Amino acid sequence: MTTAILEARGITKSYGKFNALGGVDLRVMPGTVHSVIGPNGAGKTTLFHMLTGTGTVTAGTIVFDGKDVTREPDYQRVQRGIARSFQVTSLFTHLPVRENLRLAALGTSPRRAMDCWRRPLGQLACADTVDSVLQRLELTRVANAEAGTLSHGQQRRLEVGMALAARPRAIFLDEPTSGMGIDDLAAMKHLIRGLSADHTVVLIEHNMDIVMDISDTVTVMQQGKVLMEGTPGAVRNDPRVRAAYLGNMITGGGK
Amino acid sequence: MEMLKRYRFWLLALGVTLVLPLTMRSGTLATEVLVYAMAVMACNLLLGYTGLLSFGQGIFFGLGSYGLGIALTRLALPLPLALVLAIVLGAAAAALVGWFAIRQRGTYFVMLTLAFAQMFYFLAYTTPDLTGGDNGLLDIPRPPVSLFGTELGSLAGPWQFYGFVAVLFLLVFFLVLRVTESVFGRTLLAIRNNEERAQAVGYNVRYFKLMAFVLSGAITGLAGALHAMLMGIAPLTNIDYHTSEMILIMTVIGGTGNAFASVLGAAFYVLLSDWLSTLWPRWLMLLGFLLIAVSLFIPRGLWGLGEMLWRKMGREPAKPIGQEEQA
Repeated sequence: MTTAILEARGITKSYGKFNALGGVDLRVMPGTVHSVIGPNGAGKTTLFHMLTGTGTVTAGTIVFDGKDVTREPDYQRVQRGIARSFQVTSLFTHLPVRENLRLAALGTSPRRAMDCWRRPLGQLACADTVDSVLQRLELTRVANAEAGTLSHGQQRRLEVGMALAARPRAIFLDEPTSGMGIDDLAAMKHLIRGLSADHTVVLIEHNMDIVMDISDTVTVMQQGKVLMEGTPGAVRNDPRVRAAYLGNMITGGGK
Repeated sequence: MEMLKRYRFWLLALGVTLVLPLTMRSGTLATEVLVYAMAVMACNLLLGYTGLLSFGQGIFFGLGSYGLGIALTRLALPLPLALVLAIVLGAAAAALVGWFAIRQRGTYFVMLTLAFAQMFYFLAYTTPDLTGGDNGLLDIPRPPVSLFGTELGSLAGPWQFYGFVAVLFLLVFFLVLRVTESVFGRTLLAIRNNEERAQAVGYNVRYFKLMAFVLSGAITGLAGALHAMLMGIAPLTNIDYHTSEMILIMTVIGGTGNAFASVLGAAFYVLLSDWLSTLWPRWLMLLGFLLIAVSLFIPRGLWGLGEMLWRKMGREPAKPIGQEEQA
């Protein structure tokens, strides 16, 4: 059995008396697509914040690639090979698309990013990475447009691109399809499936069509705890999961 | 033409240092423009590039003045060392203020810088042995510039001193331009735009902000030192919160887009207030109206106004940031 690339144990996050997460265990195997699903308020995004370092845990440990990263802030975890997208699009809206991706690409070499003298040209432009991400996300045409002027679908793709440009080992996508139209959905599904060739993908997603189709493992959360975990098939047929979703979401086809 | 475009800011700054002596009668006033231009560029680094509204600039300015004054009058240090001391003092104070202030954002950040401004003001006020208290440090000399014992030139006359300041100003301008166009400067712009995202893609936002503070403090310290040499005294008002306010106003009037906008802002403020003060003793009120007008109608400052007019004249707009990689 191979070892997990990410192993979280007993992750607890409390806001005052409220436990957003009540001891979550999660093992993500390298090279897989691991989806986290659950009803609204189940704690999926909070769990993501804990795993990527956007927030700090109240209790529990997170080991990534054999290193304890529990106390490391997000910018340090990026150096370890963790990158994320946000559920609510978070881009450098006043900067061009290309500059957004360059910033994301250079974020993995903090020393070079502190260069007070040279302009971001040559190696510092990270042109290879930026161009390949642009191409993959079909954003080449709008590379010089300000990110804030893109359409919603393009912005969501760029949001994924921000994680991709870091060339991470594990990529965390928080509802990449949120608010997307039907046409964009298929493209996003194709994109995420393609990511799994080079990355471990951890995915929060409401669209069951995508989750059931591309996941290797699905973890179902409810009220800050793991309800069950298994293959898409096992999850789909689990009566507890059906009950949690009131039976109306899990059959595929999306909500 | 490409060269002209590439070095346009640099040429504009050089132009200003040449035009001032050709058009003005008072060397003191011309020097004041350049001294404040440095302080405003430093403020722009924080406000325009990092999105930090700091009321601490007066601290760094005042400490630069005191540092130079004490170095020249009490410690009898040579001029270059005195200037270095002022720069180091400004940077160190900025590191201290920054270290605390960047722990908060928005209103609380501003309040913290204000609190420090008050603290340093009263510190200067209550240590008259060191600072001269209410009277300030008097009789600050302008020793000639010398290198390894050879005298290179006197600074006694107003235009001689202007030449000295102009050289330092161009040096600082070049430095600020390099920094703002560098990878570091670009990252500051990103932080200003979206701090959470900058942190999430791997940047230690606090470190970047602190570095911006230290740089800003160092340059402001130098400006303060030169101001003390210009006036022959290091007055208490140099470390007053009013100095911070004045530097901030110049920054906003000039526009926060680039280093040259700061030079515009400083020149405009210094020259206008000089002119207004001859018209009416309550000239500061007129300046208030001006600031209201700028905030309401040209939020991107004089530089933004110039850009707009340029575009209306049918010229193509300047390339936005991040496009030259394509070229």
